[in-house]
Amino acid sequence: MRPVIGTLLAVTLALVLAPPASAQAPPPWKQGQPADLANSTLAPIAQPPGPAAASEIPVDKIKVPRGFKVSLWAHGINNARAMVWGDNGTLFVSSRVAGNVYAVVDRNGRREVKVIAKGLNLPNGVAFKDGTLYVAEVSRITKMPGIEAKLDSPPAPEVVYDILPRDLPHGWKYLAFGPDGKLYFNIGAPCNICVPPDTHANISRVNPDGTGFEYVAHGVRNSVGFDWHPVTKELYFATHGRDWLGDDAPSDRLDVAAKKGLHFGFPYCHQGDIPDPDFAQGRSCGEFAPPLLKTGPHVAGNGVQFYTGSMFPPEYRNRIFLAQRGSWNRTEKVGFRVMMVTLRPRDVPKYEVFAEGWLQGDQIWGRPVYTQQMKDGSLLIADDYAGAIYRVAYQP
Amino acid sequence: MGAAAVALLLAAAVAPAADPEAGRRKAQVCAACHGPDGNATIPGTPSLAGQPVFFTHWQLIKYRDGRRKDPQMSPLAEKLDDADMADLAAFYAAQPARGRPAATDAARVAAGRQLAEQHHCTSCHRPGLTGQQQAARLAGQDFDYLLRLLRGFKAKTASDLDGTMTVATQPLQDDEIVSLVHFLASLGTETGR
Repeated sequence: MRPVIGTLLAVTLALVLAPPASAQAPPPWKQGQPADLANSTLAPIAQPPGPAAASEIPVDKIKVPRGFKVSLWAHGINNARAMVWGDNGTLFVSSRVAGNVYAVVDRNGRREVKVIAKGLNLPNGVAFKDGTLYVAEVSRITKMPGIEAKLDSPPAPEVVYDILPRDLPHGWKYLAFGPDGKLYFNIGAPCNICVPPDTHANISRVNPDGTGFEYVAHGVRNSVGFDWHPVTKELYFATHGRDWLGDDAPSDRLDVAAKKGLHFGFPYCHQGDIPDPDFAQGRSCGEFAPPLLKTGPHVAGNGVQFYTGSMFPPEYRNRIFLAQRGSWNRTEKVGFRVMMVTLRPRDVPKYEVFAEGWLQGDQIWGRPVYTQQMKDGSLLIADDYAGAIYRVAYQP
Repeated sequence: MGAAAVALLLAAAVAPAADPEAGRRKAQVCAACHGPDGNATIPGTPSLAGQPVFFTHWQLIKYRDGRRKDPQMSPLAEKLDDADMADLAAFYAAQPARGRPAATDAARVAAGRQLAEQHHCTSCHRPGLTGQQQAARLAGQDFDYLLRLLRGFKAKTASDLDGTMTVATQPLQDDEIVSLVHFLASLGTETGR
């Protein structure tokens, strides 16, 4: 098992950077820290430089509901993050600080991992359409046409759109094709808490040829996971709440954008009902779209995915899987699990644990960050800390 | 030594698969520049002794991936696999850092000490600037190397894992960078020998 890094020693990798406005700006992850917490030992958990060996990954510690079974599907994928399928069954996997994009190919039940791009700038977003892989880095989206036929000699990425902000804080992007065929991505707030420029703290979209840029949702601090309801086609997204408001506030959120142009409150109002102590600026929470669900403080919800397969029991259909990478800005760790959200008409969603066990006491050995459904209806879970992908199957 | 003990603990806790003794053998090719135990003596060449495991490992990954470039390091790193990097990082983390002789100016050291506080260097690099996780040990590092690197971050030409150092150096004037380096280089002689 990969032992764990104490929060005390952990530092800046997962961090956000403050804009270099002040002559003495603190490191980004400390920005917004109140004076009375100045000696707090809380700091982001450091990203290990390499993936864990298969023998160090205690898959049996992952607990799932009765009838489900977890296996280690692939490993050795440094900093494995978002996943998307190619048309011919290649699984493309992104990373963040590792700077790589991977292709995972199944060869007779053995997974072969290839690095198809490296040295990229936090390439967290991968999307696939009509034979072409799209990759989102901090300030640009690129594409690799016909990539599945060239996995061993991948072409240089071609630029689709490269006039996005270059800010590194919350600059890494989730990337996905919406039901309208457009590419959706986040432009995060360039800070922990600040009044962001009009160009930031949103979800945006652009046509796959780089034309037609527009904002979809405003006041979104940083959403690095979203999906569309299989029936209503509405956009559902997870957002990380601000840090340094205490162990139990504010809650992270799961939202639905029923239409374009809604404002979700950042930086004025958190979790729908907490005005920011410094940045509310006289605005009231009632002005903004409330969260569909408060998912808990500091849980760091990343991957959002509706289940559309037929392997899991019927009640799983159209449920949301929400992968929570887990907290750093909280005395007692929370998150490090995959939740499931069942939408209910005229009622708050049901919110339950689907998979947990990456957190043992106050020690972590992995961080579930995104899910991806397989063709057979089983569910893959990527772990960017152990550099692994797990498969959850229903085998009653 | 406290610092060495911490480094050993880190090496053991962070990368159980890493083998510092294998790292010692693999480090023979590094010794000509970085010293047999990671305490370099060539001006401009950084010491690796006492560097945190994550730091050394991440830098090697960056050289291999072309994100950090150096005419000597890049071709060497291209030949390393993940286990080599883990072993090397574990070996160097376990070596006591001795600091580098540097002619530091007392007034500059005092100014640099203040700057290090004002600019929150110790938030990531720890009080004493001994480093942790992916944040480098700066105490007693080579004067010329520190100067080149900080100026590189300021010029946005030095490779940065996640942008933190590029952002952190933007408010610094060159004169302040020089004072910081005087301070950091002076720490080796105060604490390491």
